[in-house]
Amino acid sequence: MSFKNAFDSGKFVVTAEVGPPKGTDIKEMLHHAEMLKGKLDAVNVTDNQSAVMRICSMAICKLLLDMGLEPILQMTCRDRNRIGLQSDLLGASVLGIKNVLCMTGDHPNAGDHKEAKPVYDVESVQLLGIVNSLNNGKDMMGNEMKGSTDFFQGAVVTPEANPLEPQLMKFEKKVKAGAKFFQTQAIYDIEKFKEFMKFAKKFPVKILAGIVLLKSAGMANYMNKFVPGIRVPQDLIDEIKAAGKEGALDTGINIAARHIKQLKEEKICDGVHIMAIGAEDKVPAIMERAGLL
Amino acid sequence: MIITTKRDFQELMENIKNYKSFFLIGCSECAALCGTGGEPELKEMKEALEAEGKKVTGAFVAKTGCQVLGTKVELKPFKDALAGTECILIMSCGAGTQAAVELYEDKPVYPTNDTLFLGNMTRFQMFDERCSLCGKCILDKTGGICPITACPKGLLNGPCGGTNEGKCEVSPDIECAWVRIYNRMKRINKLEDMREIAKPKDWSAHKKPMKLNIREKKEEAKK
Repeated sequence: MSFKNAFDSGKFVVTAEVGPPKGTDIKEMLHHAEMLKGKLDAVNVTDNQSAVMRICSMAICKLLLDMGLEPILQMTCRDRNRIGLQSDLLGASVLGIKNVLCMTGDHPNAGDHKEAKPVYDVESVQLLGIVNSLNNGKDMMGNEMKGSTDFFQGAVVTPEANPLEPQLMKFEKKVKAGAKFFQTQAIYDIEKFKEFMKFAKKFPVKILAGIVLLKSAGMANYMNKFVPGIRVPQDLIDEIKAAGKEGALDTGINIAARHIKQLKEEKICDGVHIMAIGAEDKVPAIMERAGLL
Repeated sequence: MIITTKRDFQELMENIKNYKSFFLIGCSECAALCGTGGEPELKEMKEALEAEGKKVTGAFVAKTGCQVLGTKVELKPFKDALAGTECILIMSCGAGTQAAVELYEDKPVYPTNDTLFLGNMTRFQMFDERCSLCGKCILDKTGGICPITACPKGLLNGPCGGTNEGKCEVSPDIECAWVRIYNRMKRINKLEDMREIAKPKDWSAHKKPMKLNIREKKEEAKK
């Protein structure tokens, strides 16, 4: 079943993230992909995440496709202008890639090529509009194309952004521009997330809650301090601390599983997007404990 | 105004190491206000060069260094000093440097400053970049705050996921442009305008090198 059909079927959709490596050695990544095969509705492949130069998302999407996984192509606007983006979208389409996640992208300042010229010729909302045009057989300038794309396009949203209102206004723009599904920034406070869902449910889009695996109390504190829009409540940090160094990761897996279970059982959203950030081999354990396998 | 900053003196010395004599040209407009090319800076440069064993044949602060013909006229009395120098040092902006290149085709011309941005002076010798000279103003849509300049990504449709308590992901020293716009739009009862999707920007309005000939336009209008 395709990613899009999975939503339509009403099942609780599960995706996970795979980060292409830096360099040509893809053994470990392929091993992780193999572990995830058959368990997920789609695998999300990052696009030079955190502005750190790596293998391009499209190449890895194609490899995953050949392995029998359903890839979601992440596309940021940081490194390509409107010609490059459209050209890559057409390329992805003929490679058989069906899903695209449109984002603006972290600034080069965050990455390992700080001297790079940031592009941002267009941004997330406009990129969604571009995908819409290509799906309708025209490029963004209205020029007729020979054959159109058939993308299922999504976007991201930060439910705990502060201030929240401009973030929600942008969410609405993304919906208007054609986003069909959203994956959220990591959420740890389900009650707060329910508030966001009350708003999001007004729109005809599918929402995947972002689940980032907590690997240590230090990681939680770091995210609270440095990652915009992420707020790990103190009781979760205490829970991980109490487990000690040895038990921290296992407790993190438990927390992720518990949250997923609650999101599913209470039908809070349409699915989850699991970001294990380097611990992709733990995704099956999270799913198992959440009762998804 | 055009904001400039002094280049490292040792780097400058390295660039001009093959020359012995210099003529200095400053600018009374932006460079003087930036403290990079007014009378005091020219004097300072003269002394520094002389301390390095170089000769300074003359120094002059042009009224407006980027005004090619005006500067040419102003520099007429310095004909001999300019003829007798091996090299000309420009203590204004990149435009001033290239005005001198146009006026003195046979002389090497070196900049003593780096040219940074079009800036507002917020306090004495404090400058902020607020306009990127993009060629097609969008301030009427954004509450008068330019996101092309104030947002490191130049976003047109609201804040990105990197906005954090009103600060930018690029640096906590940067106020999120879109939170500023949001607050401003709210204050002037224009928040609804923020819901309109901004189309991709037409960058053809900023095709380099830009040129404007008002004279030609006026003459055409007369016909």
